[in-house]
Amino acid sequence: MSSRRSGGTPRITDEQIIELISKLQQLLPELRNRRSNKASASKVLQETCNYVRSLHKEVDDLSDRLSQLLSTIDDNSPQASIIRSLID
Amino acid sequence: MSPSQQPTEKNPTNLKNQFARRFVRALNSLHNPKKSAHDNQMHRRSRRIKIAAYNAMASVVGSRRTWSRAVLWKIRNRSRTQGLFRNNRKRVDHQIVTNYHHRHHVKLSIKRRNPNPKREVYFDPSRYSGQEAKLRKLVPGAENMDSWCLVDEATDYINCLAAQVEVMKTLVDLYTAT
Repeated sequence: MSSRRSGGTPRITDEQIIELISKLQQLLPELRNRRSNKASASKVLQETCNYVRSLHKEVDDLSDRLSQLLSTIDDNSPQASIIRSLID
Repeated sequence: MSPSQQPTEKNPTNLKNQFARRFVRALNSLHNPKKSAHDNQMHRRSRRIKIAAYNAMASVVGSRRTWSRAVLWKIRNRSRTQGLFRNNRKRVDHQIVTNYHHRHHVKLSIKRRNPNPKREVYFDPSRYSGQEAKLRKLVPGAENMDSWCLVDEATDYINCLAAQVEVMKTLVDLYTAT
């Protein structure tokens, strides 16, 4: 789905918006299990905001843990060589 | 949607791999100059790792998406004022600036050719209040988009963020394995 499409048509149809929102709904872990598309647009938007916030928080937490782990890692350990081999 | 337009979206593993390579490279360059491990440095190092993660993911997506351009732009401007990432600045500069200006120019001309009076003349209250406004603040670069583009951009952003989190989790697991 290309965003260029919105520039070509004179007007965004409701169908396109519904299709897009249902695609978004598939990505959200909260709403994915509902088989129908009964989730309203505002609910989907709300869940999207919550999900993005939780992802940001996870990135923060994981960065903290990574910084702790990196400071304690020994350069000659097997993990370090695995990580180094990933770069090649 | 042709495969040539958005290859990484068709292949999530590919996206994760590309992100992992760039991120691990950045981690290595952050980790190598070994300074004495003060506790204050932990906080700064964590912040650098976070920036490196967002930078790596946005670099993989490149200039294809507004959010990735906005992220790279923000990081570049921040690094310019704070003097971080001196080594990467030149490389990021040339590619991002040319792509950003080209894309920005193209997007503007498309808007002028096909004006949509319904969307642009009338004040749309949902844009400035409610859930949509909150989403605009969360997705980088999405402040002035119309609703359709906002949802489209948010979809891609969530995809890439989720992939980023998965790779980072895998790395943490790898490092904590005894």
